[in-house]
Amino acid sequence: MIRWNQWSALLLTSVALISLPWLLPNDFYLHLAETILIYTVLLYGLDIVVGYTGQVSLGHAGLFGVGAYAAGVLSIKCGLGFWIALPASMGITAAFGILLALPALRVVGPYLAMVTLAFGTIIQILINEMDFLTDGPLGIKLSKPLIHAHHLSVVEYYGVVVLIFVLATIVMNRLVHSHWGRAFEALRDSPIATDCMGVSVYRYKVLAFVLSAGFAGVAGCLYGYSEQYISPNTYNFDLTILFLLAIIMGGRKSRFGALLGSTIIVLLPKLLDDIHSFRLTACLLAGAVLLGSVVSIRRGITTLKAVWIPVLGTVAIAVVSFQLEAMTDWRLSIFGVMILLVVYYLQDGIVGFSSQWVRKLKLADRMEQSIPFAAVDVNRAPITAQSQHSSEPFLKVSNVVMAFGGLKALNRVSFSVHRGAVLGLIGPNGSGKSTMMNVLTGLYKPTAGRIEFKQRDITGSDPSAIALNGMARTFQNVQLFGEMTVLDNVLVGLHHGFKSGLFGIALRLGRFGRDDQSLRERADRLLTMVGLQHHANELARNLPYGKQRLLEIARALALDPELLLLDEPAAGLTAADIVELLSIIKVIQAAGISVVLIEHHMDVIQAACQHVIVFDFGEIIAAGTPSDVQANPKVIEAYLGA
Amino acid sequence: MDILLQLAISGAIVGMIYAVIAFGYQLTFATSGTLNFGQGEALMLGALVGLSVFNAGISYWWVLPIASVFGALQGFFVEWVGVRPAMKIKSEFGWIMSTIALAIIFKNVAENIWGRDDLRFPSPLSDTPITFGDAYIDPMGLAVIGGAVVIMLAVEAFNRFTILGKAVVATANDRDAAGLMGINTRWVIALSYALSSLTAAFAGVLIAPVTLTGARMGASLGLKAFAVAIIGGLSSGFGAVIGGLILGIAEKVTGFYLSTGYTDVPGLLLLLLVLIIRPAGLLGKTTIKKV
Repeated sequence: MIRWNQWSALLLTSVALISLPWLLPNDFYLHLAETILIYTVLLYGLDIVVGYTGQVSLGHAGLFGVGAYAAGVLSIKCGLGFWIALPASMGITAAFGILLALPALRVVGPYLAMVTLAFGTIIQILINEMDFLTDGPLGIKLSKPLIHAHHLSVVEYYGVVVLIFVLATIVMNRLVHSHWGRAFEALRDSPIATDCMGVSVYRYKVLAFVLSAGFAGVAGCLYGYSEQYISPNTYNFDLTILFLLAIIMGGRKSRFGALLGSTIIVLLPKLLDDIHSFRLTACLLAGAVLLGSVVSIRRGITTLKAVWIPVLGTVAIAVVSFQLEAMTDWRLSIFGVMILLVVYYLQDGIVGFSSQWVRKLKLADRMEQSIPFAAVDVNRAPITAQSQHSSEPFLKVSNVVMAFGGLKALNRVSFSVHRGAVLGLIGPNGSGKSTMMNVLTGLYKPTAGRIEFKQRDITGSDPSAIALNGMARTFQNVQLFGEMTVLDNVLVGLHHGFKSGLFGIALRLGRFGRDDQSLRERADRLLTMVGLQHHANELARNLPYGKQRLLEIARALALDPELLLLDEPAAGLTAADIVELLSIIKVIQAAGISVVLIEHHMDVIQAACQHVIVFDFGEIIAAGTPSDVQANPKVIEAYLGA
Repeated sequence: MDILLQLAISGAIVGMIYAVIAFGYQLTFATSGTLNFGQGEALMLGALVGLSVFNAGISYWWVLPIASVFGALQGFFVEWVGVRPAMKIKSEFGWIMSTIALAIIFKNVAENIWGRDDLRFPSPLSDTPITFGDAYIDPMGLAVIGGAVVIMLAVEAFNRFTILGKAVVATANDRDAAGLMGINTRWVIALSYALSSLTAAFAGVLIAPVTLTGARMGASLGLKAFAVAIIGGLSSGFGAVIGGLILGIAEKVTGFYLSTGYTDVPGLLLLLLVLIIRPAGLLGKTTIKKV
């Protein structure tokens, strides 16, 4: 939800921006402000990729260029003006985004960075070479947009840029606070859990990049008409680096951070051009860092060891600035040192850094009161009831083999689960229980065998498709979205309930509001069930371990599963926690949801399961009721050794 | 037909250089999951340092080892300043940006030391081409291909037959387990960076007499090698050679039949094509990610 103070901040900024032409009636400054706003629109897009999904793009200057050239080519070749070029630039650049993202994001690793780097270089070469389309190195001249046969004046065009900047800010805010934005953040924290919540990581990574390209396209078109001249050499690798620097320096995941970063990169080159202003800036910066460090050390927030490099670095830059006669030769080296300092010492940007600093100063003064956890409340549990028992097995595993190289972690495993049943999976460590669960949920593709779920073959399906089909899970090593709030964690589980697309999100159509309200209520009730309703806005990673496990169950139930897989839910829980866990499992079972439970605590298995199967070395060695299995000599041998 | 052979030969020369740089990417990617975005600059520095040493009157065949030692030191430096601190930040962002920042600095420093113009590196071998049929190859071109193979084999041999090399391989297989076995994995990562820059510097001295030498020679080579590393597979040394040959020849053919301006295009196209058809690369192994 966009809070009121965000609206008022936006209103204030827009008023300030609109009054600028009257306050500073100077075309040079107006053009600087215009450039800052245009870069900010691009940075919003880059922030989706870098800040929210945690991917690195080295091709955003190229995409920016595609946007500008789309506008330019439409104008000189087709005679189409600004008002058509703006949406067209967005569309064309987004299409380039699809072309890059679809292949590059298939693999995990630095591939997107490598592919976009290649794209950024090659697009520049292509623009130069394809002079039949782009007029090559000559560039394209544009005149300001037309309205009623009247070319907009510089000030009027500035007004258009402000308007689009404000619209972009609103769209961006709505986007990142929607289910899409949550999906982007979730896949950064834990891609595996995201897939298992029915949110396809690949799909949303591609979506994020394409949206990002769309923003770059709009910015490119605006920039073309702002400069009134588009030349191929503007959109080079240095500009990409400048954009990335702006995002980190300003602050990720913050509209204000993007604006701040953009201001810095537009003004910085002007400062570096002139030796006197550079000396002044370097001294001010060194002074600020020195002062901040001294205050922080005295308040006990940081240590000398942690701050000596940035202090020395900034002081060194200041000293060097007085040694250099002409800046131009060493400009890039100073730029490089700055990137290093920012990457290492200003990771959260100016916005993130200052808010952390203020918070730490406050914390040093007084400790915050911690809120006690509520008890688990299973009355009126918000679980969608499933049709009760039927005689047909609805999960059927036949002859599944899972081999890692020569090692068979699962060897011809077959079993089935009936509707409404709770099946226990036990066995020594390394016997294949968790592997079984990873095969069921699609994280591993089995080497051989077949898995049927609800009479449909799901062998080799995508984890997200399996999850949406009604199979939810928790993880042995807790896989929460640590950097997101407790509430948002559950909302990612409820992702399937949001039906709005991009337009619904951007325009806040009726449906989006209704979905949002009802699903937030549902999330609230799920949190009440596990006793976390008072901690909804706490970051998930700050919860104690036992509560994290309960939160995982709440998140899994948000999927409205028909089958719930619990991987060692009682591991690391206190005795009191285990009682609460058992009461939750009872409610889940009462609602008719089938459960597969991996557990080492035999008392939990005894209390919860009617039927147990025992794994050892990837094979099922026994099956039956909990008491039968415990008496089975093979099982005793597997656990205790012969 | 003869023209195709000629294109294949000149493609192979530049392709082998791509392969050596891509091989360097693989070395560090295996041990640390990171790669040096300034690998092209490592090559450039190697070539320019080599040129200075050569101009000081030292024989070309001594320049090669001297530049290699310099490359190794440069690799240690990159790891120390750009990678080790960045790996503590749990995102790709850190090391990508820091190695790029170092590349920018190296390039700028080189411009200030050796100037902005391209320099000629005299060829140590005779200029008389060796002909077979209607195609010919310069002796230096042959030396490039041979040298590239030798340096890659040497690094492979180091990894396979020395205890230090085995530590590199162990770290590549499982960094945590290698650490628990008493291998100083941080040192091994530093070593892999040194080896990677060493091969790049070696390649720089090899290619310098064929092309021109200058502060700006690295960027484009480093970029092409990215494409080669992805085409061949980030986990296969032989893949790098195959990928390098494919790209080198594809570029020469495009340059000849289409226009030299489009020489750089096949790199991106092949890159995207391989990612669509075989994301792990032509010879790369598809790994199952353990949960």
